[in-house]
Amino acid sequence: MRASLTRVAPFVRPYRGRLVLGIAAFGGSRLLEALVPWYLALGIDRIAAGSSDLTLPTFGILLAVIARYGVVTYARYTVRSVGQHVSFDLRAALYAALQRQGATFFARHTIGDMMTRAISDIALIQRLITMGTILVVVLVYATLVGFGFMFYLSPSLTLLMLPPLPFIYLYAQRSAAQMADTSREVQDRLSDLGTHVQENLSGIRTIQAMVQEEPEIRRFAATNQAYGDAFYRQARVSSLLTAWMPSLAALCSVTILGYGGSLVLSGQLSVGSLVAFFMYVAMAVAPFRVAGFIINLFQRAAIASDRLFEVIALEAEIPDRPSGRTPARIRGAIELSHLDWQYPDRATPALTDVSLGIAAGESIAIMGRVGSGKSTLLKLIVRLLDPPPGSIRVDGSDVRDYPLAALRSQIVLVPQDPFLFGEPLAKNLTYDLPERELDAIWSAADAAALKETIERFPAQMATVVGERGVTLSGGQKQRATLARGLIRAAPVLVLDDCFSSVDTATEDHILRALKRVRRGQTTILVSHRVSTARHADRIVVMDQGRIVEVGTHDALIAAGGLYADLERTQREGGVTEGLTPAGAGT
Amino acid sequence: MSSAPRNYALFEAELSGAVLNLALLRRLLRWLRPYRVTFAASAILVLIASTLQVLMPVVLSLVVIDHIIQGESDSAAPDFGMIDLTEWLASLLSVHPLVAACGLYILLQLGWATTGHAHRMTLISAVVNGLRDLRLDLFRHLETRPAAFYDRVAVGRIMTRVTNDVEALYELLRGIGALVGEFVPFFVALAIMLSIDVELTLLLLLVMPIMGSATALFRRTTRELFRKVRASVSALNQNLQENLAGLQVVQLSVREEENLACYGRINAENRRLELTSARVETLYGAFTDSMAHIAIGAIVWYGGGAVVQEQMTLGGVILFTRFIDLLFQPIVVLGEQTNILFRAMASGERIFQALDWDERIHEPDQPALLPARLRGAVRVEHLDFGYDAGVPVLHDVTFDIRPGEKLAIVGPTGSGKSTFIRLLARFYDIPDGHLFLDDIDVNRIHTRDLRRRVGVVLQDFHIFSGTVHDNIALGNTAISRADVETAARRVNAHTFISALPQGYDTNLSERGQNLSQGQRQLLAFARVLAADPEILVLDEATASIDTETERLIQDALRTLTAGRTSIVIAHRLQTIQEADRILVLEHGRVRELGTHAELIAQGGLYQALHALQFQDI
Repeated sequence: MRASLTRVAPFVRPYRGRLVLGIAAFGGSRLLEALVPWYLALGIDRIAAGSSDLTLPTFGILLAVIARYGVVTYARYTVRSVGQHVSFDLRAALYAALQRQGATFFARHTIGDMMTRAISDIALIQRLITMGTILVVVLVYATLVGFGFMFYLSPSLTLLMLPPLPFIYLYAQRSAAQMADTSREVQDRLSDLGTHVQENLSGIRTIQAMVQEEPEIRRFAATNQAYGDAFYRQARVSSLLTAWMPSLAALCSVTILGYGGSLVLSGQLSVGSLVAFFMYVAMAVAPFRVAGFIINLFQRAAIASDRLFEVIALEAEIPDRPSGRTPARIRGAIELSHLDWQYPDRATPALTDVSLGIAAGESIAIMGRVGSGKSTLLKLIVRLLDPPPGSIRVDGSDVRDYPLAALRSQIVLVPQDPFLFGEPLAKNLTYDLPERELDAIWSAADAAALKETIERFPAQMATVVGERGVTLSGGQKQRATLARGLIRAAPVLVLDDCFSSVDTATEDHILRALKRVRRGQTTILVSHRVSTARHADRIVVMDQGRIVEVGTHDALIAAGGLYADLERTQREGGVTEGLTPAGAGT
Repeated sequence: MSSAPRNYALFEAELSGAVLNLALLRRLLRWLRPYRVTFAASAILVLIASTLQVLMPVVLSLVVIDHIIQGESDSAAPDFGMIDLTEWLASLLSVHPLVAACGLYILLQLGWATTGHAHRMTLISAVVNGLRDLRLDLFRHLETRPAAFYDRVAVGRIMTRVTNDVEALYELLRGIGALVGEFVPFFVALAIMLSIDVELTLLLLLVMPIMGSATALFRRTTRELFRKVRASVSALNQNLQENLAGLQVVQLSVREEENLACYGRINAENRRLELTSARVETLYGAFTDSMAHIAIGAIVWYGGGAVVQEQMTLGGVILFTRFIDLLFQPIVVLGEQTNILFRAMASGERIFQALDWDERIHEPDQPALLPARLRGAVRVEHLDFGYDAGVPVLHDVTFDIRPGEKLAIVGPTGSGKSTFIRLLARFYDIPDGHLFLDDIDVNRIHTRDLRRRVGVVLQDFHIFSGTVHDNIALGNTAISRADVETAARRVNAHTFISALPQGYDTNLSERGQNLSQGQRQLLAFARVLAADPEILVLDEATASIDTETERLIQDALRTLTAGRTSIVIAHRLQTIQEADRILVLEHGRVRELGTHAELIAQGGLYQALHALQFQDI
């Protein structure tokens, strides 16, 4: 627990001055607060003595209250602001750390998991700093001040206040654990409920088509009941705590009443002190009541901190250590030599002994089954995955020697999954360089056969896409990401199966545009369709992580190997997603 | 025809946004009424608990201080017989009255703890049960809305009505419970205080408007502020979420630094807002504590004078100080609850709005009795259809499908193929006289009966939570394990099912994520085959599937369609070529209908579509 929270310390350190001031202010506010029972006791004793001089007690209380208001407001705000600043810094650090991660990291961690760390874990640490500090400090002060004043009033009565405290502490701790358990249970059941409804409504058409409404409603009733039960259990723990904690504390009250009362009767204690005792004991007992929750908060924050720093402490997945000897401008010759690659946690290699020379300006098509290693190969070229030293050279230099930014802005990969940000189309298409002219964006859209689609949107290039805007079809998304790649006019363009959801006529348009705009520049393209691949200067066929055939379309057909098989299957009965003429997609 | 389609954008606008909506509360009562006995018990318990709670300070101040210590005999303050009870206890147990008072104090404390707990639990139980019923009714209502409804709404936003909005009602009822728990002791204490000293009580009550207006000011200031804070938090999360989802694009576009800066700006805005709200909250928070302390000062000042003039006893003054918390706590709680109340009203409106969505598929008053087995003839006559008025999707569609015939529907995206099969599954209402099964107008058939006769396999097939067996048999107990296995074998699903950890008893995770696309398709086939409908409607998956699985699917499809009227939206050439006839739709109109050979010979749209695939680019 200590070990993990110490990692938060460097983030708190810049604000330690402020934190110390806040803590000191809390101390002051507690003392001022303790003056209220003090002057109340004085007032009661004067009243009991029949005196009508109540100026000192009344104004003592008023002044203490006003002073305390200023001090405690300052203290609370100061400590809370430290919490805010620390969580601001933690968020920035986490964001920066996540941006340095890549495929390997996200194969092990989900985005949902990362979101939880960014939201809940940081919130917990923030709460620890604000609530935790406030509570610990306030409570320590309250105990000291409360017991101090009580001891001054009557040492023997004060000692009698001690026996119930361990029980109060133990009960509080047990309840805190129960509360944590039952709250988690409620959260889990609530999330079940959400999942259940989401899943159900998403599949509503199947459910209705299969006449499954009634069974589904019965199933939901069970999930619903489980949630209600969990809520009831949590409410029960909380209600019992509300009932019995004051009852334990009442042991102190009864002692004051009985023993304190007898002290008053024998003249050893004033009536005012007796009343003040009730208020001081409340101050002194409070820490024991909430101790369990604070311990719980510390434990959870420690776990949160562990989870957070597990990510923040990570090095960049792909180290960026340029040698300084690489050419500033890439021409586009790529040399793969005996490239082997295996994903961690996989039994078999993804690529085995891949060697291939691609001349600057050449166009290459890569074909092969799902899982034959095509995408892996492309990712290695732009270092989304890190190749072994010396196995991939660009213009004669190892890809690992290039500055990452230089490499990725000159070898442009358009990945397989089309991803668009929930922003206007123009921003999406010129994602690498937001300040590009609109004309350039339109011409890239034209080359990607997206111009007409965009022209049909009322807002045109300003159309926001995604959940909050217009939903694009799969083919439209692919064309948008293609345009995003084309606009960069890079010496090397790498297209990872970007036409799978695009119909053949549109694909034809794009291929023509590609020939035009990519003339004399290196282009590598993965495709499942022979009709696409055949236009490349050379075709590379991959199978189980190896290159099995390389050659021109005619040469490979003549060779009668895997490529020739594919060509025949597709000619005779293949997939006809292409039954959609150009422009029909909406 | 169904009522005018909903526009989700209008949903929120339809809400009144009223802070206090009595009609809404009245409507909520309908779900709480079955538990009214429990509510009544809870109300009685809170009265008892509150009285016991108030009597404890009475024992301290009036019994111990006034009676035992000060020896006051003629106190005007109502002690509710506590003095006599103490004396009686003391003589009964022959102990000092101080000891008896302590015993009484403990009894009161235990009584308060027990009745208070019982009050809270009865209240919670009634609320939990009532809202459970409401949630179930809401779910049932949503579950039976027609597909047309779901075309217009985002599932995620409907979902929150079942979860978050019902949660908010829960908070509302619990909040009202908390208020009752605060206000009942408040009134009991107030009655005692008034009977001791009216002037001092009124003086103390003067603090209430001050606190009330401070609270109102605070709520007004923070409402907008908190809304901004929430918006900035969700902007922060949305930005992070999107950047993680698109991280590869970010890295490939070398946009890391710019995005970090952008996130930093959102982060800074969030911090600014959080700090502002912290400032307001701390100013207010300390103010309420302070008012209670100021009231103590006022009691000392006024009470002292009153005691000297013998208008009050010392115990009476002390009792006032002990009642301060009871007096001010309700205002603080009320302040806390207004936000919840405000939110809950909006949530309640959303829930009842959802319950008022009355889109439904028109069911016949006297449904036609279907024969045990339909022949499977489908007749479409001059069918027009559009989702939105003025935007027709199908125009004058007319054709016949013979029993047992295999019909492939092809056409460009947006040609109305999917719409047609949705109409066949009765997801939408159509006017009478346009669509017939075995010469019976579909509008005369109850949708439940119709859907048992027309088996629909959609592209995005839904995997139910449950085992493989459950997913094939779908709760039909007439379908045995042997039937399930037979069906699975016939559609080539048996092999992969047997390879699952528990075979047919393997639990499929939500949405079948542990199955491949092809396997899910085969499973959907097995489901339909087991149900054995007379007419099969299939929207063939477009996704590319590996060649081997593709072969299994084609083979299964052949089994599935054998001897069964089948209507397939076909994307694969093989499927099209195996069909008896091909229907070509374009812009919602029937363009061509005939066999593959006929249509090729005809040289029309089909031929063009067909040639395109092999056209030499």
